[in-house]
Amino acid sequence: MNLGGDPRAPLSRRESLRRIGAGFGSLGLAGVLADPALFASGKEHGQQAVSPLAPKAPHFAPKAKHVIQLFMPGGPSQVDTFDHKPDIAKHAGKRPSLVNRKSLRNTKNGLMVSPFGFKRYGECGKMVSDIFPNVGELVDDLCFIHSCHTDIPEHAGAILMMTLGALQANRPSMGSWLTYGLGTENQDLPGFVAMSPRAQPRGKLANWGSSFLPGAHAGTYVNIASMKPDTVMRNLSNPHLPRLEQRNQADLLSRLNKLHLDRLEKDSHLEAGIEAMELAFRMQFAVPDVFDVSRETKETRALYGDSEYAKGCLIARRLIERGVRCVQLSHSIDGYDIAWDTGHGDIKGGHARLAKACDQGIAALIKDLKWRGLLDETLVVWGGEFGRAPTSEGKKGRDHDHYGFTMFMAGGGVKPGFSYGATDNFGLTAVENRVHVHDLHATILHLMGLDHKKLTYRYSGRDYRLTDVHGKVIHDIIA
Amino acid sequence: MKSLNENDRATMNSLCRISCCCLSFIAVLAALSPLRAEEPTAEQLTFFEQKIRPVLAEHCYKCHSTRSKKLKAELYLDSREGLLKGGETGPVVVPGKPEASLLVRAVVYLDNELEMPPNKKLPDKVIADLQEWIRIGAPWPEEKPTQNAEQAVEGRDWKKLRLESWAFRPVNKPTPPETKHQELVHNPIDQFVLGKIEKRGLEPLGKAGKRVLLRRIHLDLTGLPPTPAEMKTFLGDQRKDALDHVIDSLLKSSHYGERWARHWLDTARYSDGLGGFGDNGPLPGAWRYRDWVVDCFNRDLPYDQFVKQQIAGDLYTEDPLAFYGTGFFAIGPNYKSDGGDPEAKAQAEAETLADRIDTFSRAFLGLTVQCARCHDHKFDPIPQKDYYSIAGVFRNSRTHKRSAASAEMTKKYNDHQKAIKELEKQIKSLNEEKKKAPENTADNPDLPKLQQELNKLKKTMPPKPGGEVHVLADSGNKDMHVAIRGDLRKKGEVAPRQFLTIMTGGNGPVFKQGSGRKELAEAVFEAGKPLAARVMINRIWQYHFGHGLVRTPSNFGSLGEKPSHPQLLDWLSAAFEESGWSIKKMHRLILSSATYQRSSRFHQANFDKDGDNRLLWRMSPRRMEIEVWRDSLLAVTGELDRKIGGQPTDKIFDVKRRTLYTTISRNGDRFASDEFLRLFDFPSPASTAPKRATSTVPQQYLFMLNSPFMIARARVFSERLQKEEKDDPARITQAYALLYGRQPTEEETRIGLAFLAEKAEKIPRLQQYTQVLLSSHEFIQVR
Repeated sequence: MNLGGDPRAPLSRRESLRRIGAGFGSLGLAGVLADPALFASGKEHGQQAVSPLAPKAPHFAPKAKHVIQLFMPGGPSQVDTFDHKPDIAKHAGKRPSLVNRKSLRNTKNGLMVSPFGFKRYGECGKMVSDIFPNVGELVDDLCFIHSCHTDIPEHAGAILMMTLGALQANRPSMGSWLTYGLGTENQDLPGFVAMSPRAQPRGKLANWGSSFLPGAHAGTYVNIASMKPDTVMRNLSNPHLPRLEQRNQADLLSRLNKLHLDRLEKDSHLEAGIEAMELAFRMQFAVPDVFDVSRETKETRALYGDSEYAKGCLIARRLIERGVRCVQLSHSIDGYDIAWDTGHGDIKGGHARLAKACDQGIAALIKDLKWRGLLDETLVVWGGEFGRAPTSEGKKGRDHDHYGFTMFMAGGGVKPGFSYGATDNFGLTAVENRVHVHDLHATILHLMGLDHKKLTYRYSGRDYRLTDVHGKVIHDIIA
Repeated sequence: MKSLNENDRATMNSLCRISCCCLSFIAVLAALSPLRAEEPTAEQLTFFEQKIRPVLAEHCYKCHSTRSKKLKAELYLDSREGLLKGGETGPVVVPGKPEASLLVRAVVYLDNELEMPPNKKLPDKVIADLQEWIRIGAPWPEEKPTQNAEQAVEGRDWKKLRLESWAFRPVNKPTPPETKHQELVHNPIDQFVLGKIEKRGLEPLGKAGKRVLLRRIHLDLTGLPPTPAEMKTFLGDQRKDALDHVIDSLLKSSHYGERWARHWLDTARYSDGLGGFGDNGPLPGAWRYRDWVVDCFNRDLPYDQFVKQQIAGDLYTEDPLAFYGTGFFAIGPNYKSDGGDPEAKAQAEAETLADRIDTFSRAFLGLTVQCARCHDHKFDPIPQKDYYSIAGVFRNSRTHKRSAASAEMTKKYNDHQKAIKELEKQIKSLNEEKKKAPENTADNPDLPKLQQELNKLKKTMPPKPGGEVHVLADSGNKDMHVAIRGDLRKKGEVAPRQFLTIMTGGNGPVFKQGSGRKELAEAVFEAGKPLAARVMINRIWQYHFGHGLVRTPSNFGSLGEKPSHPQLLDWLSAAFEESGWSIKKMHRLILSSATYQRSSRFHQANFDKDGDNRLLWRMSPRRMEIEVWRDSLLAVTGELDRKIGGQPTDKIFDVKRRTLYTTISRNGDRFASDEFLRLFDFPSPASTAPKRATSTVPQQYLFMLNSPFMIARARVFSERLQKEEKDDPARITQAYALLYGRQPTEEETRIGLAFLAEKAEKIPRLQQYTQVLLSSHEFIQVR
């Protein structure tokens, strides 16, 4: 089977890719069993072994089946990227009352004009900064939200707010909520994959962890920079044992376990274990395959370009193409865990480099998904944990701004070529159609066919959900 | 609703952005309330809870609620009835008609006589919310199910509430029922259990076989499997009380403390620090608290003292090392903010306090007091004020590092040093005398004696007291204010430090000494005793049987599960106190019961009636915890390093010490060992862990099939068999004895021999075979 075929190949190719997994997956759906005690009415050893990752019906018809979160930790500046504010120039160096907010951290200075030029793109005529020329070309496919806001202007908490909906690392990540609610479509691969080149985003594991949800929902993390396809997952192969001998060995284990099962008469943990072992055996081959981008055509690889982030984008496509539910791809260069925070001292240098490292890859991903007919069912979400203030820090930098920032989405049922909400004239504070991170989460779940108020998990005496007691679906951005 | 919600995020955000926990509240209410003509929708109720109730609570309840010290205008604004009935001036809300509602007139300051709240006009957004709320009919959730929790603090009948709940009421010692199956009664535990089994018409299983039983008890008490020699001795021991002897000797083993300390460390959310951002420092002395816990179990420190020393050991000075116990709190997360933003700072402090209250109340009392952080507990009778009464104790206690040495240890060490120096001096002077003396003078007869004494002293030298331990110390003596909606910057009334009102009835002593920790510790075993006893007995039961009598071991509140055997729970709790809170005596009692010694066999008819085994008709088969599995692997290969205590190591794939000694990072993301432990359901130490899950995922099998650790164990085990046994049949037999404590069946031997007969490329066939045996379900399972 040629896995690196024509990027415009018809849908059936994707279906067949999934079926590679599903072929076994349909046998192995029961291959993963959570603690029966975790099921409300579970019987100790009697219930049918049901995989927590088996596909589950959504609450209602979904617009999207997969999410790719293009996460930009550190806080990209809205007024230097997608939230064009010509009024800044009129008041440059001044500090009009609109931006004279007290608790901003170090921004006692006046307004600073963006060092980047802006151009009009697409039929919708969106103004986009010169540092995102490739993304700019795609504005007619994008849905911008300019009125995002979050709770605090500090990285650690705000990053967690974006990835798991709380300021502390003691809640399940969004991806784990998604696989908890929906399972995943390919049982030979993890349901939720988190990736970054170099550094993991600040907060690390918590950003893709499952916290109190069953461990099967935790994201599998892959470092793109150091990745070799066959070492993506720990203990994926036994270099000392030829495949045939290992098959023999696995058969022996199954056989002895089955004898033990006969003696016990019934033991659902053991039944699940026998299947999980078979699944493990299959994963040894399915996992390296999906991470091997050398299987893509030269043209496809050229479309994405050479950057590490772009490689992540390409793998993201391969993953969701095979049915993986959620991919979280965080940006990082120079091993910095909050890459976009380079804006403090120098917006111009810092942001230009960062944008260059991801612009082509992001645009390629969206184009590629579209060509393959995957964009409709894949929700792409771009953005950081907050933005940066239009006033300056020092001479050339900008400090954190959690009062207002911009994110964009693509595909997955959102309005293309659309902009929603607005910050004030200078881009500091979201003033029109404000969207809190909880609202983003509620909307993402909604697009995936889940009611964020109904997706709950009982833990330590109460029901938890991704949006806590907050969150409101933004219906106006849904196509 | 839509237009309204849309525009008000900004206001709401500053007003009510406190992590809160009333989700299920609304769901439960919706489910319980009888259908009315104008049933409020979930969205309306959310609107009420997020935008209206907080405003009413903050601005009106001081004077217009059941908890007002001085009710004004005869007006209650804390129930829909109160609003509709109104006060001195008549109804204040006319549903659907904001313009006709007095409440609106008051808040818009339309009328000089009637401006509410009196000190300052509400923001326009909030007024708009109130108007909108009345316009849509003033939806208010049906509050019956939480009536108890919703009533005024002072107005509640605490005694009645206390007696109504199985968990809060005093422990009495019930009489065990008579049972038919007399042969299955070893002690009263069995009477309580059989009583239920017989009543439900189930067939209790008989005793497990001796082999199964010995393995079960060894793994349960020490976390290590019996050796073939121990098995042989036990099988040959025909004494009636052979098992009691085994239990006694295992309880005397230091490995017992290691095994049971680990259970407690789950509850203590033990880690070596190294959390995430804002809480990322290491806790280099955490292991001393861990060793202290091991020691407490080994010397059977009475449970009441064990708890008191963890809350206030520094203040119980009669035990010189009791201060180690406060590590229980000190090793918890200490959140910091990274930018000094005031909101972030307050959040970080509130979160750290929440850890203390959550751990204190769930671990010792089985209560989710943390749910009362932003408002009164929605389900249990825990007013918000109680949260801050306890929080005050911890806010006046600081975490610090203290020299690990007690005064006694230091004195002992110094005295020893002094004695050595004194002797050396004597010897030196004698030697000098000898040099000066003429050559033929006989040696001073004291010299060899002194030398001998010196050697002895040097050998028995106590370890140099050093290092540090993380502990609590008092840092103040001030009550806290209730934090309005959990925001420490918004001060409500003062919450004097005292124990939970539900247990004291509001008449408990107010804490006065320092932080009040010692008084809090005492209160746990005075007013809190029924909870303290039941909670710990239930934990002990859970670790012996896999499930507690109460299956929510850290939540005995109304959202927790009810006990399957309430009388047994109370009988044991009473026995626990009578025993002087001896945990080892509880082990003996439970392990000698026929209930514990029951077979784990499957039984279809019983299973159909009680598949969950709530009635304990059999012993539930279980999977080993990860620590037990790894330790057992090293034990059967003969590699286990049995040294007790000391510094942790993150090199557990190389070091052969027990898994207890692994470095544990708080978020489970620092070490390969973290990942390994989490893969097999080691609980997250971010908060107290009441019980562990048992998940089965393919990555576990990848570990068994491919990890260098398993490959190495298989190699060492096969070498051991190779060396100790002369041929393959003998090797198979010995492997089964070591791993499973039994003989292989003929079929198993045949399968094994066939496998061994095949050719291998690199890894010898015997090693491939032993890897399979080590990975088998039978090995990881406890029956």
